[in-house]
Amino acid sequence: MTDFTHDPAALADPPPRPAGRRQRTSAMRWLVLPGQIISLVVLVLPLLVALYMSFTDWSPTRGSLWDARFAGLFNYEELLVYDTRFVEAVIRTLFLAVTCLSLEFALGLGLAVLFLREFKGKSVLFSAFLTPMMILPVVVGYTFWMLFQSNGPVNQILGLFLGPEAMPEWFRSAPLAMIAVIVTEVWHWTPLFFLILLSGLNAVPENPVRAAMILGASPRQIFFRVVLPMLKPVIIVAFVIRAMEIAKLFDEVFMLTRGGPGSSTETVSLYIYKLAFNDFQLAYGAAAAFLVLVGTLAIINLMLLPVRDQLLKGQG
Amino acid sequence: MMQNRPLTPLLALVLAAALAVTLFPVFWVVMTSLKPPTDWNAAPAIWVPSEPTLANFRTLFDPSALEAYGLSGVSQPATPAILGSLLAAVLATLLSIAIGLASAIGLSRYAKLSKWTPLVILSGRMFPPAAIAVPFVIMFSAVNLIDSYAGLIAIYVAVTLPFSTWMLKSFVDDLPREIEQAAMLDGRSRLMAHLLVTIPLIKGGVFATTMFIFILNWSEFMFALVLSYTSVTTIPVQLAKYVTATAGTLYGVQAALAVLAMLPLILAGYAIQGHLARGMTFGAVKR
Repeated sequence: MTDFTHDPAALADPPPRPAGRRQRTSAMRWLVLPGQIISLVVLVLPLLVALYMSFTDWSPTRGSLWDARFAGLFNYEELLVYDTRFVEAVIRTLFLAVTCLSLEFALGLGLAVLFLREFKGKSVLFSAFLTPMMILPVVVGYTFWMLFQSNGPVNQILGLFLGPEAMPEWFRSAPLAMIAVIVTEVWHWTPLFFLILLSGLNAVPENPVRAAMILGASPRQIFFRVVLPMLKPVIIVAFVIRAMEIAKLFDEVFMLTRGGPGSSTETVSLYIYKLAFNDFQLAYGAAAAFLVLVGTLAIINLMLLPVRDQLLKGQG
Repeated sequence: MMQNRPLTPLLALVLAAALAVTLFPVFWVVMTSLKPPTDWNAAPAIWVPSEPTLANFRTLFDPSALEAYGLSGVSQPATPAILGSLLAAVLATLLSIAIGLASAIGLSRYAKLSKWTPLVILSGRMFPPAAIAVPFVIMFSAVNLIDSYAGLIAIYVAVTLPFSTWMLKSFVDDLPREIEQAAMLDGRSRLMAHLLVTIPLIKGGVFATTMFIFILNWSEFMFALVLSYTSVTTIPVQLAKYVTATAGTLYGVQAALAVLAMLPLILAGYAIQGHLARGMTFGAVKR
């Protein structure tokens, strides 16, 4: 982003029209207005309604929202203190975020480093490796649901190598169902890390690397001490984007396990969905959603702090 | 750095294994969509259909197509869902691009961003859909937009707007502003300079963004799930319905719908793969 007061081009070459600051600001206002209106009406307004709702004891069976009794922080207290299912869903979602993101990062980085080598058919393979991230989450969830059936190909392959006792019912056991969810997520989104890290690696400038080489650094040292630190902004961006998506993780789990067996693979999004649309506890669900939103905002803001200035400058 | 070194045989093997894992699920769903009903649930699982058939795809449009195999098929065709997905995704994408383009030019050329800007942009993407879905249902019922495409499209536009705005902005940022200034010097107004100079010069970027937003809209599931009852359906919702309604036993038909759902996305994705990183990272990663 170009800052007007510090833009050397703007100083050296003044705009042809004596467009003052006011004129510029008004052009900006008009251009940005439609986007702001739709965001206000379709995102901010419902969010405010949900916020109000979360302080009431409203449920659709009891008349209009505006007649509902004000309940203060009752819903929030209930969620944080008494609702173990909610707290477990939060912990589970955090666990999924840490596990999936670490695996996706490690695998994506490994694959990106392989792509720095020279080999034939690189561009075709590059496309092939990106395929999973283009597929819609619902289809990914459905596909892995098929793969993990007890007579599905995953068990077939496991049985081939480990014998018939290694052919479990994946969705009947809590830890196995969780593994299925993690495998699905990692398969789906490792390509994103691969893509972002590879573009980061390709953009690493030659000179520092060459300097380190002349100073006698080993390839391993160069990679971990010179290249990886330069990738920090790119890595953080990838983690931020994925962390946000995990916080909302719904589609794949809905198709794979519906949160089951029991509630052992329930993510916060799935729990909120069930509260609102299966149990019709709308006010309670809204409170849960707000806790999740505030928590996500806080975590993402912390993650963004180290790269905020670079993002504003529009560097990649 | 370590560029230009060839792959060792061991690394080539690792790469081949990774490729197999990456493509296997896609292979499986495509193969399943071509299987006749006798192969669907066979144990041990059949990898390549014994007699490949398109009956599963025909069933999507004509539920009686499986009668040749002695199956009653599905209760409803997927035609309305396919048309619904097309309508919602295409219209929402065009609107999101049009509004996003205006915002992108405004922000790139006339705004000074604050240190909170990145967080504000991202927060649009952070709203848990479940949180806004509930008030949507209430608000939309009040104005009769529930179970309507207009309602669904409005949400899709709002939800994809941060992506279209920031992806397009990154393309406008790449364009030197002197080019528009030259046009303004020729006596064109600001608006005309942008319409006739800025936008044509970034048309590659506009295309990439359009494809990217289409992928997002076509993939959306949760809003469609809670806002559709009878007249509005999309492919993801229909797929979920097929799985629920038949306890998942109609493997072939479900897989056929899954293949139809992912085909346009894979094509769009390959077409813009050079810009996917930019789209996913709100323009932060450019190459």
